[in-house]
Amino acid sequence: MFFRIERRLEPAESPMAIAIAMGVAILFALFLGGGLFMLEGTSPVEAYGSLLQEAFASVRGFGFTVVKAAPLSLIALGTIVAWRSGFGYLGFEGCFLIGATATAAFAMQCGEGGWFGVMHFGIFIPLCIAVSLTAGGAWAGGVGLLRTRFGGNEVLISLMTNYVAILLVQYLISGPMRAPGGLPQSERMPPETWLPFIMEGTRAHAGILIAIPAAVLVWVLLRKTAVGYEMIVNSMSPPAARYAGIRVDRIILVSACLAGGLGGLAGMVELLGVQHRLVDGMSGGVGFIGIVVALLARLNPLWVLPTAVLYGGLTVGADAMQRSTGVPSSITFILQSLIVLLVLSSDLLRRYRIRALGVSVSIKGST
Amino acid sequence: MDLSQFISAAFLVTWFTAALHLSGPLLLASLGEIYCERSGVLNVGIEGTILLGALASYLVTHLTRVPLWGLSAALIAGLISNIFLAWMYVTVRASQVVVGIVFNILCLGVASFVYRLATGEAASPLPVAMFQPLYIDGLTNLPYVGVMLFGQTNPFYWVLALTAASSFFLFHTRFGLALRAVGENPKAAEAAGINVKGMRYIGVLICGTAAGAAGGYLMLCEVGMFRDTIVTGQGFIALAIVILGRWSPWKAALAALVFSSADALQLSLQLFSVPVPPQLLLSLPYVMTIMAISGLVGGKASQPAGLMVPYEPN
Repeated sequence: MFFRIERRLEPAESPMAIAIAMGVAILFALFLGGGLFMLEGTSPVEAYGSLLQEAFASVRGFGFTVVKAAPLSLIALGTIVAWRSGFGYLGFEGCFLIGATATAAFAMQCGEGGWFGVMHFGIFIPLCIAVSLTAGGAWAGGVGLLRTRFGGNEVLISLMTNYVAILLVQYLISGPMRAPGGLPQSERMPPETWLPFIMEGTRAHAGILIAIPAAVLVWVLLRKTAVGYEMIVNSMSPPAARYAGIRVDRIILVSACLAGGLGGLAGMVELLGVQHRLVDGMSGGVGFIGIVVALLARLNPLWVLPTAVLYGGLTVGADAMQRSTGVPSSITFILQSLIVLLVLSSDLLRRYRIRALGVSVSIKGST
Repeated sequence: MDLSQFISAAFLVTWFTAALHLSGPLLLASLGEIYCERSGVLNVGIEGTILLGALASYLVTHLTRVPLWGLSAALIAGLISNIFLAWMYVTVRASQVVVGIVFNILCLGVASFVYRLATGEAASPLPVAMFQPLYIDGLTNLPYVGVMLFGQTNPFYWVLALTAASSFFLFHTRFGLALRAVGENPKAAEAAGINVKGMRYIGVLICGTAAGAAGGYLMLCEVGMFRDTIVTGQGFIALAIVILGRWSPWKAALAALVFSSADALQLSLQLFSVPVPPQLLLSLPYVMTIMAISGLVGGKASQPAGLMVPYEPN
């Protein structure tokens, strides 16, 4: 035998090992994706090329990429706040919808002839942020309360709350908030409330300008503040946190509200930036894809924006590719999820090393 | 609209018949999930598996025109796709929630990709042959209960049999005891000589097979044509049913009936044009589940103690 694969006592933990394992996983995912392109009769190189070109090399396409990235990154940040505190929240679809609904109810009264009248944008936007933060925060805070008061499992509860929110929105747009007309949807928001476009000739709206400071704030919260420290301790070991005098229940509640608030903010951004009215199915799974973005960013707030832009770009590029070559855009779902699954399973690589001719080779380097 | 029409026999019969009809796939998927969760793995990937099962049964029935072949294909699709899931859950020991959620997105992509690849640019989806309702002379034409009890499609009765079988396997066999032990206290189970990882693989694979079959059931008894939006939360409803049914087959059957009754009532009320918002009825089972998980109704829900904890042998 020239080589054999042996198990390590501990998985390799060096940053290099992690980076190489991730790289191998991503390449493998792209390779599998390439196989799918070939099934469709398209050259993989050409397909990936046109995918990237549309999303990042054309101004119009990049605008769409930014549009997709804004809500994704806000939800990813919410995921980080929750999961980094040991609160396994999965209800971002719900928070997104509740945030959008609250914003819609508020913004509808801010046009000509509304209760509040037309406001200066510098007052209107902070108010909108407050409204959506509060709504999303209260929605997720409820789950936090059920967990801390009654010990319910937040993973399962939050999954169920998504459906309650979806049904609530369906009810509102087919009943109380329904606009006259055939489709179940709300009135269009007054144009004065729309988020301004920030790039000439594109649909890119100011939502990303909310996501950027949010990312920095979440980073500061987790890295530089006492509350953030307590959150992280709690996620690592609730008994240790309790022993250290951390008020675990309060930390869970705070992180639930904050995470939900960020999810609500994502809903506001999508409503005022893209949809301009409340419609059924407006989330389009963003509440789950945002979680995936957070995972790929390894729950690091500073990596969220680049990851979200890449992810958004993949979606935009695939849509363009479908239009030009007929390759179904569903291929992005496959690519995106394969990348995550393979990155997760690449942890397995770090548990082994190869010993060849008496020299051990592993992704950590020789040992 | 007066109340008498509301509780007329015709209304009740329509309602209950539809409720039983709709409960089938939900119960089947939940039965599988019970095995899986009893072994300590929360399989959130059940939603995607149902979709794959529905697709497989659609394509195979389309080719063979025999629904039974379609159902078998759904079963196999569920089994094969869940080998990967089981590997991720048990061998890689990745976070079960994360893997499940991402797997659902993967299935959405795979299903719509394969469907397009298989059918080309077909303009409108073609309906396939479906299971026909049972008809037993003398029973099905009984007044009121005839159609309700003896006029369902065949898979419904198979699922009932499976419920009884599952109840027996889980609570009256060595296999069931081992499976539950692995989910409650894997360390102790291992010490008692039970293969923890093996049992968990079995749990996930049973779940996958059942979920795939549930997809086939949905396709061949309820929908009859494929769109990638036909599975709208049935997998998550199955998760809710398992909790509401306290991880036991017969109680899960009752819980499935709660969900399907709400759905059927909503449909019947629309049929009889009663002005109750359907969303209110549809959301009630979810609210009930949330309260059940929190222990606000029906006492504390006690999930298997090892649920969601990957097992790492020393």
